[in-house]
Amino acid sequence: MLDSIEEILESMRREKYITDRAMAVTIYLAYHLGKPLLLEGEAGVGKTEVGKVLARVMGTNLIRLQCYEGLDASHALYEWNYAKQILTIRLEEGGGRPREEVGRSLFSEEYIIKRPLLEAISSDSLVPPVLLIDEVDRSDEEFEAFLLEVLSDFQITIPEIGTLTAKQAPFVVVTSNRTRELHDALKRRCLYLWIPYPSFERELEIVLTKVPGIKETLAAQLCRFMQEVRRMDFYKRPGIAETLDWASALVLLGREELGRETVEETLGCVFKYYEDMRRFGGEQIASLLERVS
Amino acid sequence: MLREIPNLEQPQATPDLHREDILSNLVVFCRLLREMGLHVTTGKLIDVCASLKHIQITQKQDFYCALRANLVSRYEELPIFDAAFRAFWEKAPQPEAVDDGCCGDGGEPGLSSEVGPLDLTSLEAAVEEDGPPEERLLPGYSPLEMLTQKDFSTFCEDEVATLRRLIARLAPKIATALSRRRKVDHRGAELDLRRSLRRSLRHGGDIVELMRRRRKVRKLKLVLLCDVSGSMDLYTRFLIQFIYALQNELRGVETFVFSTRLTRITQALRHRGMQQSLQELSRLVPQWSGGTNIGACLKSFNEEIGRGLVDGRTVVIIISDGWDRGETELLAEEMRRLHSKAHKLIWLNPLLGSPSYQPLCKGIRAALPYSDYFLPAHNLESLLDLGRTLQGLSRA
Repeated sequence: MLDSIEEILESMRREKYITDRAMAVTIYLAYHLGKPLLLEGEAGVGKTEVGKVLARVMGTNLIRLQCYEGLDASHALYEWNYAKQILTIRLEEGGGRPREEVGRSLFSEEYIIKRPLLEAISSDSLVPPVLLIDEVDRSDEEFEAFLLEVLSDFQITIPEIGTLTAKQAPFVVVTSNRTRELHDALKRRCLYLWIPYPSFERELEIVLTKVPGIKETLAAQLCRFMQEVRRMDFYKRPGIAETLDWASALVLLGREELGRETVEETLGCVFKYYEDMRRFGGEQIASLLERVS
Repeated sequence: MLREIPNLEQPQATPDLHREDILSNLVVFCRLLREMGLHVTTGKLIDVCASLKHIQITQKQDFYCALRANLVSRYEELPIFDAAFRAFWEKAPQPEAVDDGCCGDGGEPGLSSEVGPLDLTSLEAAVEEDGPPEERLLPGYSPLEMLTQKDFSTFCEDEVATLRRLIARLAPKIATALSRRRKVDHRGAELDLRRSLRRSLRHGGDIVELMRRRRKVRKLKLVLLCDVSGSMDLYTRFLIQFIYALQNELRGVETFVFSTRLTRITQALRHRGMQQSLQELSRLVPQWSGGTNIGACLKSFNEEIGRGLVDGRTVVIIISDGWDRGETELLAEEMRRLHSKAHKLIWLNPLLGSPSYQPLCKGIRAALPYSDYFLPAHNLESLLDLGRTLQGLSRA
């Protein structure tokens, strides 16, 4: 399991994630050096998928922390189960247990709601879990600093309980859509990999692997189309995710080739912003189709 | 998992490569990268050594990947790293030295064009010389004080590069100031006991529903409207640099330029190298140095292009000298509308730097009543002050 670079490539391929040696080397190094893996790239290139695939390859749990603006320590770490605590207090009111004892029991592990980071640290599975910290650029600097602390020692102190240290460090995968620059300290902690849009050949391979039942000629047309679209100027350029959606949609509709009508009908798979869809008018579609057919 | 201290005593895989050679080459290579602007620390060098233990050094591709994973931490650094790697570790420069995927094929168009203007003389100098790196630092850092006070319009070409670097360093500080929350809140969602107890009255005193309270997080958004007409020419190139740096450091910044028309340039500035951004801009903006019609541009911002962008959390910054060929009433009216929607409206005027300046031109006179702040923007110090003003606003 993750014993050699070739093995990583092979096992990821078996899980239908087609990638190149650069990624395999970086994953290999991250795993053996015990450093987090930082994946940066445009939306839809498959960053989050890496975390999921690695968990399957390693045969371990995937613990996912989805970052968002306003995310802070309590949502990422733990929260006390207030409802349960209050109910316990009410229940104990009639009973004979001394108050101190009840008080102490209220702040035990039983009453903690574990959020992803604590889950990852307190995991006692045979194989360390994969901790996927998704879209870290959506959180803020404060959270980044906090994350850095946690990632340095894999140790969390809960005042009422004590310090919990991870028995084995989880394999950490951090992704970023690069909507802002991450703090230097976090970047330095990680091994960095930029995931670009795939080449035509690679994208074709991905489509043929993940969308069984698609005709190769249609897949090729599709991929050429997407390569062209990404060269043009849109607000939100489509990623591989959109290509796969589109391929599946076309298979479902039973289309065998890309015609103007087909494209116009299924454009929603490719563009998700009104201004982009509007800009991509009839003549543009026609001329693009000519180039790719 | 503790990181192991690299044990370089272990024999290498092949007899051709001597341990000392590799290490000293790595040190020089890192120095070279530092010259070229990458932030490479000794810590990273140690990490590289640790990484090399796990791969076959003779495998060029793996060697490249191992170095890149440790030494590069930003997308912009990739082409610089590639160029340096090729020049340093390969005898003959080859166009595609490493396999597909390593250099990001199918990536952003124009990526390879960024390698072009790279200064290879510093590369050669770095490889030849043995002197301490400090000596090879570019001149111009010494009279820093003078530089921050010097008016942008008076800069000569060699000072421009230094100034650009300083501006780029300034932007993150402003970004930090702006992203700080209104109230530092470590506990996040709080329990609102008062409301919980109130609610419990419905249930005969049993607390069944837990009411929560969240502290308000107030983050400022920025909208920048920059005048790029002829009269602003001398200042534009620095202001655009500043805006570019700010755009890439901060989330929630929307940038526009205007002269006779208003154009959104947020996407064009995002993440590309400065060169490419400028190319993109000259493509997008039809009249870079024409006359100005501020009122009409603000109107199109208010009504179409900027619709939905300005609310109570937005700070709008207009950078212009106020020389306007349009109707003054239109300008005043649009300023009024903008001011009523935005949290604060800041007018930056490069001409304010001159001690003899008086706001006599009708454009400025019309806009002044609707500006919350009227500040200079003619040198670095004024940009620093802007940073402080914004910091104050985000705390308010």
